[in-house]
Amino acid sequence: MADTSMPRSLTSARVSISKGLLTVAISLVVLVVVSAILAPSSVSPGAVLGMLPFAAVLAIVGLGQMLVVQQGGIDLSVPGGVSLAVVLVTHMPNENDALLVPAVLAAFAWAIGAGLLNGFMVGRLGLNPIIATLGTNALLFGAVLGISGGIPRTTTRLLASIGGGQTLGIPHAVLFALGALILVSILVKRTVAGRRFEAVGASPAAARATGLRYRTHQGAAYVWSQLLFATAGILLAGITNQPTAFQGNTYLLTSVAVVVLGGTSLLGGRGFPVATVVAALFLSQLDQFVLALGVPFAVRTLVQAAALAIGVAIYTVNWAALRQRFARASAPAAIATP
Amino acid sequence: MIHRKMSTAIAVAGLAALILSGCAAESDEPGAEPGAPVEGAPDWCGPDEAVVGLLDGFGGNSWRLVTTAAGADEVAKCPSVVEYLYADGQGDTQKSISDIQGMVASGADAIVVFPDAGEAMLPALRSAYEAGVVTVPYRVDPNGTDGEDFDLWVGADFVADGVAWGEWISENFPDGAKILFLSGPAGNSQGIDEREGLESVLTDDSYEFIGEQPYEVTNWDPALTQQVLTAAIAKYDQIDVIVSDFGPSLVGALPEFEKSGRSIPALVTSDGNVLSCFWEEKKDANPDFKLFTVATGNDNVRLAVQHAVARATGGVIPSETAFAAPVFEDSVSGSPNPVTCRDDLPGDIYLSAQMSPEDQAALLD
Repeated sequence: MADTSMPRSLTSARVSISKGLLTVAISLVVLVVVSAILAPSSVSPGAVLGMLPFAAVLAIVGLGQMLVVQQGGIDLSVPGGVSLAVVLVTHMPNENDALLVPAVLAAFAWAIGAGLLNGFMVGRLGLNPIIATLGTNALLFGAVLGISGGIPRTTTRLLASIGGGQTLGIPHAVLFALGALILVSILVKRTVAGRRFEAVGASPAAARATGLRYRTHQGAAYVWSQLLFATAGILLAGITNQPTAFQGNTYLLTSVAVVVLGGTSLLGGRGFPVATVVAALFLSQLDQFVLALGVPFAVRTLVQAAALAIGVAIYTVNWAALRQRFARASAPAAIATP
Repeated sequence: MIHRKMSTAIAVAGLAALILSGCAAESDEPGAEPGAPVEGAPDWCGPDEAVVGLLDGFGGNSWRLVTTAAGADEVAKCPSVVEYLYADGQGDTQKSISDIQGMVASGADAIVVFPDAGEAMLPALRSAYEAGVVTVPYRVDPNGTDGEDFDLWVGADFVADGVAWGEWISENFPDGAKILFLSGPAGNSQGIDEREGLESVLTDDSYEFIGEQPYEVTNWDPALTQQVLTAAIAKYDQIDVIVSDFGPSLVGALPEFEKSGRSIPALVTSDGNVLSCFWEEKKDANPDFKLFTVATGNDNVRLAVQHAVARATGGVIPSETAFAAPVFEDSVSGSPNPVTCRDDLPGDIYLSAQMSPEDQAALLD
């Protein structure tokens, strides 16, 4: 089922580049060029350095979502997962650096718990992932309110310097995103377990027939994704300094968007980590570009929506069939002309 | 069958609510002449016993927490209030409406409502008012008429905030300035009123509002604020003053100026301990960083409570009907207050509120 829509690789190249990566990389280059011409300030060093940390957070969230999506699932508990991590690492330490490490551990512990719950419901019980993860999202927001009363706290200084700081001019968040990218790529593409994981995503039935524990792999994806969401949340708390308790809300749609823009099929199959990260960069730069254009807020929202629609259309519309249809429709007309 | 049973149950419950609210309305007759206050209590506290309810549309941030506590504190000043009720709408309009209905049904004599959803709350407010309950919405305008849809709306005078900011700007930048104004969601009335106040003072052409008009949309979200400010810094070489109606949300964003090798400019906003401490920390490295704040308005609720309690207990009705936030800090003149940082207390407290900083800190724990 997944095979028909799976993006093909360009096999002639020495290093195989997926259609998704090619598309999104070209889009990014075009966007940067357009930005430089129409709104030069959006590609100035200051603007880029300001944009990168948010792109990094989105990239990490997107990688988590990608792992679930390539198993044919979807994790809609992103807002809860990110928000809970933000609340835990700001609320527990209460501006005391010494308590930061326990708070980070608590955030990861919660993430594992939420991931196991999602994985159990989807992988074991076979619940619809949309319903199951939305339920978990509500539970996580319950925890957000229970822990904080909905009242966030100021980030500790240590976390602010870790999340928001720079080393050699590179924002720390970018380093974290690169780390996450390398980790995910190696684990999925270079380890036995990772290859099995991808095989299960490509075809659960075939994987089952070969004796793989496909349910475990499907369930595990939700644990990995929650761990990445928590990482993103911790970074976000550091970057924003004075976060709200609902800071994860903006990542629900965008996390799925970057996965789709990166060329990973929503029906499952191969995952494309590099393309997902580039797509995160693309969406963040698009935000920055539209902001720098100085257009009204309404137009800003429309442009982002249009980018998403086009991106999704590139992969999901069956262009070959469409071309055929138009060719057929125009053929009689061609004959009619003398 | 089940449907019929359910609708019967709902009808019975509704009838019960009507009867109860009817009873509450009847017991609401004023027993004594206004102006006979209870001894030892403020004059807005009359002799009649009353049940008073405070309804929040969304209780989920430190500002709301301090505000709610201020409301409870104000109610507690009046011994005639025999019972105090509280409900949090949790950002859900439907829940906020049923909270009002529930409070009316349970016999409240007066309710003070933060109608976050604006006009969507009007029917519920009107039905409470028509059921004879003293109804005082505050802060957010529900777009109704005093004495018709509710007793009165105790608004915050955001135009006055704009005027206070404008006056400070014209005093400190007599030769004009480039002003970047940040407010919340697109079209919110608070931002529009503030802009009106600013423009009423800054009439000279030398004052220029840069960026999106009438204000840059930030949704009061610190992450979006940071992105908006980053774009503005890259786009405009000169930003003399930033005006924001939610100062503390800028703490994460202002260092973007330093990253671009520029001084943080003057900031004209509402107060918050985290912001004052930020100024304290950054002022030496940023010569242009001046700070001017108006009180963030936690005490708006106190005036609304006074109006509600005065009407329900037969006390003296206050003459003020809108809350004008007083000017709080000025880093240039030090008057009425110099910028004050309490770094021993959490960042999420508001030194401008009547409630003591220590009590606010205790609330947050």
